[in-house]
Amino acid sequence: MASISIPIPLRERAKSGVLGWLATVDHKKIGIMYMVMSFAFFIAAGLMALLIRLQLAAPNLQVVDPNTYNQLFTMHGSVMIFLFTIPMLVGGFGNYFVPLMIGARDVAFPRLNAFSFWITLGAGLVMLIGFLFGARSDAAWTAYVPYSTKSFSPTVGMDIWLMGVILLGIGSTLGAVNFLVTVYSMRAPGMTAWRIPMFVWAMATTAGMVLLATPVLTAALLMLVADRNFNTQFFTTNRVQLWQHMFWFYSHPAVYIMILPAMGIISEVIPVFSRKPLFGLRAVVISTVLIGLLGFTTWVHHMFVSGVDPAIERFFMFTTMVIAVPTGVKVFNWLATLWGGSLNFKTPLLMCLGFLATFVIGGISGVMQGAIPIDQYVHNSYFVVAHFHYVLFGGSVFGIFAALYYWGPKITGRMFDEKLGKLHFWLMMIGFNVTFFPMHFLGLQGMPRRIATYDPGRGWELGNLIATIGAFLLAFSVLIFIINAIKLRHGEPAGNDPWEGNTLEWSTASPPPEYNFREIPTVESDRPLFDERMRMPQL
Amino acid sequence: MVPPVTRDAELINDLYNVILIFAVVVFVLVEGLLIYSVVKFRRRSADEMPQQIHGSRTLELAWTIIPAIVIAVIFGLAVDTMGRMTARGTLSNPVAHVHAINDVAARQRVERAQPVDLVIEVTGRQWVWQYKYPGGDGVTTSEELIVPANKNIRLDMTAADVIHAWWMPELGPMIYVNPGEMSYVWFNVPPGDYIGQCNVYCGVAHARMISKVKALPQAEYDEWYAQQAAASSAPTRPGDPKAGKNIFMNGACIACHYIEGTKAQGKVAPRDLTNFATYPTIAQLDGFENNAENLVKWLRDPQAVKPGTAMPNLNLKAQEIEDLVAYLLTLK
Ligand code: HEM
Ligand SMILES: [Cu+2]
Repeated sequence: MASISIPIPLRERAKSGVLGWLATVDHKKIGIMYMVMSFAFFIAAGLMALLIRLQLAAPNLQVVDPNTYNQLFTMHGSVMIFLFTIPMLVGGFGNYFVPLMIGARDVAFPRLNAFSFWITLGAGLVMLIGFLFGARSDAAWTAYVPYSTKSFSPTVGMDIWLMGVILLGIGSTLGAVNFLVTVYSMRAPGMTAWRIPMFVWAMATTAGMVLLATPVLTAALLMLVADRNFNTQFFTTNRVQLWQHMFWFYSHPAVYIMILPAMGIISEVIPVFSRKPLFGLRAVVISTVLIGLLGFTTWVHHMFVSGVDPAIERFFMFTTMVIAVPTGVKVFNWLATLWGGSLNFKTPLLMCLGFLATFVIGGISGVMQGAIPIDQYVHNSYFVVAHFHYVLFGGSVFGIFAALYYWGPKITGRMFDEKLGKLHFWLMMIGFNVTFFPMHFLGLQGMPRRIATYDPGRGWELGNLIATIGAFLLAFSVLIFIINAIKLRHGEPAGNDPWEGNTLEWSTASPPPEYNFREIPTVESDRPLFDERMRMPQL
Repeated sequence: MVPPVTRDAELINDLYNVILIFAVVVFVLVEGLLIYSVVKFRRRSADEMPQQIHGSRTLELAWTIIPAIVIAVIFGLAVDTMGRMTARGTLSNPVAHVHAINDVAARQRVERAQPVDLVIEVTGRQWVWQYKYPGGDGVTTSEELIVPANKNIRLDMTAADVIHAWWMPELGPMIYVNPGEMSYVWFNVPPGDYIGQCNVYCGVAHARMISKVKALPQAEYDEWYAQQAAASSAPTRPGDPKAGKNIFMNGACIACHYIEGTKAQGKVAPRDLTNFATYPTIAQLDGFENNAENLVKWLRDPQAVKPGTAMPNLNLKAQEIEDLVAYLLTLK
């Protein structure tokens, strides 16, 4: 790996201390702020989930009243998606690692980047403070009209929720522009398309999706705000499907916005801990882009029972099922990467295996629901709740933890405690499945989602009790992660490259200096550091 | 799944079972490969360097094409099932939507779609299903739908406020019931009690929006129906809504209450009475259902019903109360 010297840009030296953080435009500091922020939101939304599960542990419980319950699941879903998963993956890992992995000194527009962060944090705080002070929305994270219009949700909580999501959309749209320009124009010399790391490919695809999808959601939200406050009639006179089309045009791709970066992470971690190249790199890249494109052709599967023309429904049933093919390709490529490898079972790899084992279940139940007659049975039932948690928790959250354990040492310069990491993994894996697997059966037994309670005698008692126990186990496992993170201060020094990584971020110090690389590296393959190690004389 | 009792539910159930077989095979295959790799390929020594395989065109083609075939088969099965669910009539779906309540042509298509013995009009509202029987006898029920068993029933459904969904797992496909639109469901069931639930989130009491169907043998059904018809043709309550309105607008009521488009513009009472008759409860009091009897009790002495309420006892006469009740129940 040859290196070339590009002068470090002239910018006033970074301030230190609190002001240093508040005023920073360094993509790494911004990345860290995103991670800390989203993790805090994860804890908040997790606590809400525990309350939800407590209420449902047995029939006719009144842990919270029905109003509060409805506000809780609304906020749980909104926070998990808008304030945790997307900001963590895109804002956190994307910001921190995309420039490092492509050998750049920062993102293309550092100040815009800082602006995106602050607007996201502001929006999150607005939503959460509104929630804490009783200005709560209860229209679910999907905010279907007419329920979310002034006639049925007259409270200011609904307006606060709308404003929050609009601001978040602005933040993430700006962030997406930044990523696309960065990846397009700031790659290190020699980093041709097929040498771009998988995570970066995933982030670029994700950014493209954000750019296409978010404005539609923002438009829908603004229309609803206008309906509510300025007497326009976008959703009051039109058929109720208009909102659903606009909402799902964003929110179905949003699922891939949450899963593609996690898939990118998996594609980075598995090769490193198997000591093998990613099997079929090109196929994985192509499937990433394909999923990105196909992700825009499936939104109507959320509306199979809401009154869309049957011919259109069939088309969307087809596209919904087709998307399983590139996804399957990825899964088999990962398995083939493991196959014949030299597997080193450190926590990051365990998290990837957890991802694989559980994501597959979410994928399978996805194809099942894709069949319209099945959807006519399970739509909006707990089967769906199980399905999307297998995708979002089993996929995205396992991916996020894989990344935290994998890149944590790079960010902090310290190693996590492996024992605690493994304990965290196993408890999470067990807790997760105990929580969500029974929900498949609950759905099939006729339990709808978003119900504050239920009567005994419908056969739902046992499944709900088990799920609640699982949720507490799950929460406990996250507690162990937090302890591990606190202990990180005293962890062993990590060195530049503790895992024998393949990509450029491992060639610089841990934590990386302000401008990432003393000298910009030149790239000659898709695994620059692997080549470097192979050339080194064996010690 | 819950045991199906209609042909549509059976078709769905069969499809589910077939797809489940594919699902289990894929699940076992992937998890099997995963577990095998984990057990077999653990790192033995720190400097072990496995063979550097970058890919294999054949393998990758295989795991693109084979899943594509599986997906195609599942798609075909689903389309086939949809076809069979339709085969009974000329409609494209055993559940159907018409996007405007007044769409006559669409409505005629629905009428022609299946032979039907009984059509019931259904209104979903926060948080109850209301059923109106045909025949001009004024028979209505809410919460429980009572039908003759083994007859072709069609429900003509719409929503009064927000979106609701008709979901009776044993009876077949679910469908959204949208305000301003019509949804249709056909079913034919053996005698028995069936239970389901509103399946689109519709507000505070969404969890309590239960749907029940009770299918009675024809004779029992006829008997039940005759009783209902007799009860509903019995003289109604003695109130006169016009007189009631008069009392309302000229009495103390308007000091506190608000009714759109009238001179009642008071803002003291927390709920606006414009659509009072659609409220499920009186004075937002759990379990105090909004009906004439309860309304009489309330007007006679609000404090006795809800101690501490801001509404005073107005010392109304019995006839005044009846008139007010009649008026209030017209506010929809
Ligand atoms: C801490 C573990 C979690 C538990 C125990 C949990 C539990 C639940 C439960 C029981 C519901 C269903 C509420 C209902 O429909 O009645 C729910 C809804 C939901 N969850 Fe989670 N969840 C967890 C984590 C997550 C994560 C990580 C995400 C996303 C990244 C997520 C996203 C959602 C969404 C979008 C909804 C739907 C909210 C709505 O219906 O508006 N959850 N969760
Ligand atoms: Cu409802």
